Amino acid sequence: MSTPAYTCPYCRLPSDGTGTTCPNCGAPTDVRVRVSKSGWAEQPPIKDMARIRFSRSTCQISGMYVPVAEMQLDPADSVYFSHHTLLHAEPSVRLDMMKMAGGWNRMLAGMPLLMMTAGGPGHVAVSADHPGETFAVPLPANHAIDVVEHRFLLATSNVGYQWENSGIWYVTRNGDDQEYHYPLGRTMDRFFAQGGPGLLLLHGPGNTFIRDLREGERILVQPGGLIWKDRSVRMYLHFEFPRGQYWFSSARWQAKSIWLVLQGPGRVAIQSVFEQPEMVGGVINSSGATTQYW
Amino acid sequence: MDRIECQWCKAQNEPERTSCTTCGAPLDKRNLVSDSGWTEAPRLRDMTEFRFSNSTCQIEGEIVPVAELALAQGDSVFFEHHVMLWKEPQVPLSALNVPGGARRMIGGMPHIMSVAHGPGRVALSKDATGEVVVLPIHPSHEIDVREHAFLAGTHSLNYSFVRIKGLANVLHGGSGMYMDRFITGGEQGLLLLHGYGNVFQKTLQPGEKILLEPGGFLYKDSSVQMNTVQQRFKTGMLGTHTMYLAEMTGPGRVGVQSMYVHHGTE
Repeated sequence: MSTPAYTCPYCRLPSDGTGTTCPNCGAPTDVRVRVSKSGWAEQPPIKDMARIRFSRSTCQISGMYVPVAEMQLDPADSVYFSHHTLLHAEPSVRLDMMKMAGGWNRMLAGMPLLMMTAGGPGHVAVSADHPGETFAVPLPANHAIDVVEHRFLLATSNVGYQWENSGIWYVTRNGDDQEYHYPLGRTMDRFFAQGGPGLLLLHGPGNTFIRDLREGERILVQPGGLIWKDRSVRMYLHFEFPRGQYWFSSARWQAKSIWLVLQGPGRVAIQSVFEQPEMVGGVINSSGATTQYW
Repeated sequence: MDRIECQWCKAQNEPERTSCTTCGAPLDKRNLVSDSGWTEAPRLRDMTEFRFSNSTCQIEGEIVPVAELALAQGDSVFFEHHVMLWKEPQVPLSALNVPGGARRMIGGMPHIMSVAHGPGRVALSKDATGEVVVLPIHPSHEIDVREHAFLAGTHSLNYSFVRIKGLANVLHGGSGMYMDRFITGGEQGLLLLHGYGNVFQKTLQPGEKILLEPGGFLYKDSSVQMNTVQQRFKTGMLGTHTMYLAEMTGPGRVGVQSMYVHHGTE
């Protein structure tokens, strides 16, 4: 019995290591893993025209600015994706809508209302409509990850899809105005592989970095920078109030930094493009949070 | 000695060249073609230079590229006036005589097409991430381009616009009411397009069909028929949703861009 020659440092799956890219996630095998001194590993871009295998089908990633994921679907395989990411399809591909519960809540939460399925045989291609990196997250059987909304590009049909309240929110008051804020969005997508391994494609603007958090290890990240996390990673808000020389510069009535605390164990991925959380007025209520006055 | 044929535009090049003199495509790299036959538009190397008539064009930058044109006496290029990044003071500008002003206004097309005349330099750029696609147009050839995707055309090209036929195509096709049409006379012309994101091209055989997201359509040979088709889907409690896709029927080339605005779901 032969042992696998190569274990991908990004997806952690074994392969024979004979190609220049990992057949499970498309990450290049001929580059050195780049890890910052603090422990963030840079997810390398998938090489142009690299192929990823899943079931009896393949996925080919092409382009560098706004990559396209082109699926060559076997008649027995199918994938699903948000309908607005469809770029082209051969007439032989069976296009249909995926049945999803909670349409009204999805609409309120600003999530894609329509999820489309494409069944083989034939080619179908999807593309996110903004510059960034498309990367693959192969899911081992019965494994689940939580993904920030609007980062999902495509999944194989054996990957289950649920969405749950993110549980991250705060309320500000400015004069008589009171406003709710959801820095991660109201909901998060949960994907889990059922019955066997599945493939998930995500798209993150800018560059993508991943890191393993040890049990109890914490890191503060911009809420808008999170892409995905293992289910085991706990998260909550953290408000920071800077110390100032004068009462008006210390700004004790208004947190100047709003962080998302990620606490291990588990894996997290962040992107280098993000929006700062909106902050006008003082925080009067929030989901579970810690506070630091400097 | 053998000459090198450019895989993108089929022009013949001197053996020592590393990029095509006609379109700037790298000659020392193979075309990237996906399994289903889409060819990635060649990624032009920074500062690549190529020729048209007695003038040259140099592509600078890779994320939001700039096309810098060194115009010889007697040569000119036309472009939408808002894409001009800089020019030398002595380069004369004029307005292209474009018929159908009222229709162009209704159709949301640019009212003013500027023409820069040599000698001198002028530089053009769109304000979005993407690629400059260089299409040498052979004599007596016609090409249709999505409105506002055109960056510049050389003086040997005739510019017109065609109304997209069929109300469904106009309302749901995502390409507006009109497409730009470029036709060459007896002399080869050069067309520069800006594709948002990455650009891919596929050559359809006679009768071969492909379904496109309408917002992704960038250009096609005029021999390719474009028709908007409806896809109706049952969506449980939400009722029925209709999605519109552009059905392209060969023969001819079709170009798509990977960054687009989605159109056509009700």
